[in-house]
Amino acid sequence: MEKYLYLALFSPLVGSLFASLFGAKPKKLFVGLVASTLLFVSLFSSIYLLCYVASSDNIIHVKLFDWIKVGGINIPFGFIVDPVSVIMMVTVTTVSAFVHVYSLGYMKHDEGFNRFFSYLSAFVFSMMVLVMSDNFAGLFIGWEGVGLCSWLLIGFWYKKEDVAREINPSISPSWAANEAFIMNRIADLGMLIGLFLIYWNTGSLQYDKVFENISTLNITIVTLIGIFLFIGAMGKSAQFPFHTWLADAMEGPTPVSALIHAATMVTAGVFLIIRSYPLYSQIPDVGFFIATLGAFVAVFAASMALVNQDLKRIIAYSTLSQLGYMFVAAGLGAYWIALFHLMTHAFFKSLLFLGAGNVMHAMDDELNIFKMGGLRKTMKWTAIMMIIGSLALAGIYPFAGFFSKDKILAVAFDSNHYILWFMLWVGAGMTAFYSFRLIMLVFFGDERYKKYGFHPHEAYWYMLLAMAPLAILAIIAGFFEESFEHFVTYLLPEYHFNIEGIKEVGLIGITTLIALSGIVFAIYKYSKGGFNPKWKENFLYKLLLNQYYIPIIYEKCITKPYAKLSKIAWKEFDVRIIDATVDFIAKIIYISGFKGRVVQSGNLSKMLGWMVIGLVILLLLVVLYSPVR
Amino acid sequence: MHNILSLLVFFPALAGVLGFVVRKDSIRAYGIAVTAIEFILSLWLWFNFDTTNGGMQFVEFLPLIPQYGINYYLGVDGISLFLVLLSTFITLVGLISLTIKKNLKNLIISLLFLEMTLVGVFVALDAVLFYIFWELSLVPMLYIIGYWGGDLRIYASIKFFLYTFAGSMIMFVGMLYVAYMYYTATGTISFAITDWHRLILPYDTQIWLFLAFFIGFAIKIPMFPFHTWLPYAHGQAPTIGSVILAAVLLKMGTYGFIRFSLPIFPDASIAMITPIAILSLIMIIYTAMVAYAQEDMKQVIAYSSISHMGVIVIGTFAMNVEGIAGSIFLMISHGIVSGALFMLVGNIYDRRHTKLMKEFGGLASVMPKYATIFGIMLMAAVGLPLTIGFVGEFLSLLGFYKVNPWLTFLAGSSIILGAAYMLRLYKKSFFGPLTNEKNKNLKDLNAKELTSLIPLVLVAIWLGVYPKPVLKPINKSVTNLLQLMEKKSITKEAKDLLKENRVKLEAK
Repeated sequence: MEKYLYLALFSPLVGSLFASLFGAKPKKLFVGLVASTLLFVSLFSSIYLLCYVASSDNIIHVKLFDWIKVGGINIPFGFIVDPVSVIMMVTVTTVSAFVHVYSLGYMKHDEGFNRFFSYLSAFVFSMMVLVMSDNFAGLFIGWEGVGLCSWLLIGFWYKKEDVAREINPSISPSWAANEAFIMNRIADLGMLIGLFLIYWNTGSLQYDKVFENISTLNITIVTLIGIFLFIGAMGKSAQFPFHTWLADAMEGPTPVSALIHAATMVTAGVFLIIRSYPLYSQIPDVGFFIATLGAFVAVFAASMALVNQDLKRIIAYSTLSQLGYMFVAAGLGAYWIALFHLMTHAFFKSLLFLGAGNVMHAMDDELNIFKMGGLRKTMKWTAIMMIIGSLALAGIYPFAGFFSKDKILAVAFDSNHYILWFMLWVGAGMTAFYSFRLIMLVFFGDERYKKYGFHPHEAYWYMLLAMAPLAILAIIAGFFEESFEHFVTYLLPEYHFNIEGIKEVGLIGITTLIALSGIVFAIYKYSKGGFNPKWKENFLYKLLLNQYYIPIIYEKCITKPYAKLSKIAWKEFDVRIIDATVDFIAKIIYISGFKGRVVQSGNLSKMLGWMVIGLVILLLLVVLYSPVR
Repeated sequence: MHNILSLLVFFPALAGVLGFVVRKDSIRAYGIAVTAIEFILSLWLWFNFDTTNGGMQFVEFLPLIPQYGINYYLGVDGISLFLVLLSTFITLVGLISLTIKKNLKNLIISLLFLEMTLVGVFVALDAVLFYIFWELSLVPMLYIIGYWGGDLRIYASIKFFLYTFAGSMIMFVGMLYVAYMYYTATGTISFAITDWHRLILPYDTQIWLFLAFFIGFAIKIPMFPFHTWLPYAHGQAPTIGSVILAAVLLKMGTYGFIRFSLPIFPDASIAMITPIAILSLIMIIYTAMVAYAQEDMKQVIAYSSISHMGVIVIGTFAMNVEGIAGSIFLMISHGIVSGALFMLVGNIYDRRHTKLMKEFGGLASVMPKYATIFGIMLMAAVGLPLTIGFVGEFLSLLGFYKVNPWLTFLAGSSIILGAAYMLRLYKKSFFGPLTNEKNKNLKDLNAKELTSLIPLVLVAIWLGVYPKPVLKPINKSVTNLLQLMEKKSITKEAKDLLKENRVKLEAK
């Protein structure tokens, strides 16, 4: 079995290294083909492992070699395949494999084709390390690895120059990449502190040892560990206040957005909470905080998606919002439901992004949905698949999102957190509305693009083919709910619902009702030409469109003052005070020597004079300090 | 080869003397050959090093002035072994990358002499011998900066020389006083560091002596607020000067802390943890900010060196195996990474004769190999896991966390601020459109430059993935060091700290 573990883990790395050999060379199709094939090797190995774990209830645990071993710390490169990690492996490799195939078409004319596949496969490898490691340090390797790949891929089109925020809210790919990296680093510091706490209190970073000892620890310590690990999770999963990088990350090529910034990397934070469930189940207060923040982000992000005009940003905000849902489930102790939503979301969100990629191709990279419209005529398949994705996202039966999202709302209601439930409920309505606002503006209505001279066309057949499995999964994944629950609760705790029967049905009904009304409202409004342009003058509209002015606040209150303070530290403090002091001391020595030089003039009468003065001083000293007086 | 250490110390110097008779056009090959042999010798030292032994190995002893306890006394342990290897490796790589044409012969001879002093400092076990090598290292450096440097070279080299020299004088007085204390305790004078390690000093004396040594080390490292000579030295020094200065010379100070301050003045060191940690903290945060404000690529790296040295000092004063071993590892890794970064800056300076970031932009599209290697080293500098930079930084901070969580939290900001100034540099120089006409026809790295850089890249990744060969000997010697400190500490605070400062194994 270990053979398959290594195959699943290292195939992407081999693909990445292979592609990197051709990094600077002109486009070679076989580079992409090799990388994609290796991804499928990884996918099939993961599926095989899933079947093995599911059928035998065995856990595969291997240790490659020691990484850091010094003093009391011993970190090996250890990997584990258990129900949680194998679900993540399958999810990650499924989406990655299809995104690889899709990219063959999407990046076809890009000069960085080979480089792209090298980065993309490296990302998959890092993500596999993240989910498969058997210790927190290994997770951190993957954690930083995906951060690096995200930086490389957001900044993939590094040649673009910086523009004003008004023209492009992300400024430039390289700016967005740096923002993402640094913002994540801030959160990573929290995570590191969490690791330090774990190490000094349990003497290990291995999951099994840590979780074994966690119940013996002081509850304050456990709470602190929980908080700091969650800070790390907030960065990767772009939770408020670390959320701004995710929308800006849309500067990267769209397959990247689908894979990294929707399906896999951003869910790493949720994965961390799920993985550390023995820790978080000890501290329900922190869990409640996580859930509250999650519910807040679910609504907060959805509200920004309501008015945005940028195709990819809308989907990005939607990702943010769905991550909030996952955190609610994880925070309230329904770990398997969080994992389930993570999986279904990966399928339909990557589907939506890939669809958006098709639209961008058709529209020469135009992103403003108000310049599109009526695209269903030329892009039938893309339209169908994006509608499937949107229905799944909105949580309509029988699509995947219905099963997972409804469960999260049920958890919130069931655990008597009615306010959280209400927020999520409102969020569900908003989700349905913005999803179908997008669908309506892009695929239906007038063909506004003609005014701008676009000539849309459907994507290559193999790009559509790569999307098809995701579309199928977005439809059927929900029906695996029971077997999924059975499988992962082998490891994760079960969640027992108290509500039953009529209440449960009622709850589902209310949720479906708001989702449906959101859809119907969007269809009604935008088939009639949308909202009155006067809305755009509204304060609320401006607030939402400018992302609550948060990026500007960050710039004005953090970035700019930091740059200014740095300048002062250098020019004023370092040069004018510290260095000037050093030079001043040196100068005093020099000047005193220079002035003292007159003593040594060589003039005999002056020398005699100095001699007399010296003699007098010596005599005086003798008189004053004489021991015999 | 039981005289391997003497061979390591004096072979480059002798070869340097012989270098005067070597013909001008073959001096380069000669220099590379000598440093390559030296490097192979140091590898031999490593392969024959007994990793299970934490004490001094390959010891050589020859009485020089026995009446005063001054002897020719050399030895190497896990702490100094890799600093020796670092010195020989960086000198070799630096020599390969040399592009200076002017008076090359003198430069290479200076470098060979410098190599002697570097190796000498790390293997000397006699304080006088240590001091001699310590001070002698200034001479070739003064010459390198003063002769091959930029416009302000005279000012920079004199400042470098006098500043560090003033610090070392105070340290030397401290050394004399320790020897005197040894005399009062035992009746014989000894300058052997291993003898001093056994000496138990009264607390007040320890504090004063600690401060005397501290001045010498702090200026060398350089710690805030004694750091202002460094930006000038780097700004004016030729590439090779900066490489050796940042990679090896600065490590002499942090090495001094571990070799002298900790074992000889354990109680004072422990009493000084907080003040020193605060100074290091200022170093980390303040110089990272100054680095962020720089306009010159080389100055960014120069200030970033100071910031990283702050993490090393904090790790050293963690007073546990994790922290000290981490700080030693970080010395090695910072040597590799900063050396490589200075060489990379040198590469672009050779092409464009400027280091100002605003002159560049979009370099990634004309010089992809250069951008890749720079990128890898940048990631190592910001401490990405699986690169060499992570292990040391992680362990240093991990170790210090046990001593003071709050200060560690603040020191941890180095991972954020470090990313900020490095990514700013990278974005300004490598990303964006290629606007400057002068950059449009730049040549990518040539064979010579790649030969010097690729070994550094390989080491940076190898030791990031598999740091065990380095950590294992360090671990052993540091454990010994801490046992020694615990045994000889006299104050209750020190004893308690050293006892508590580890993971309780019974918990497992």
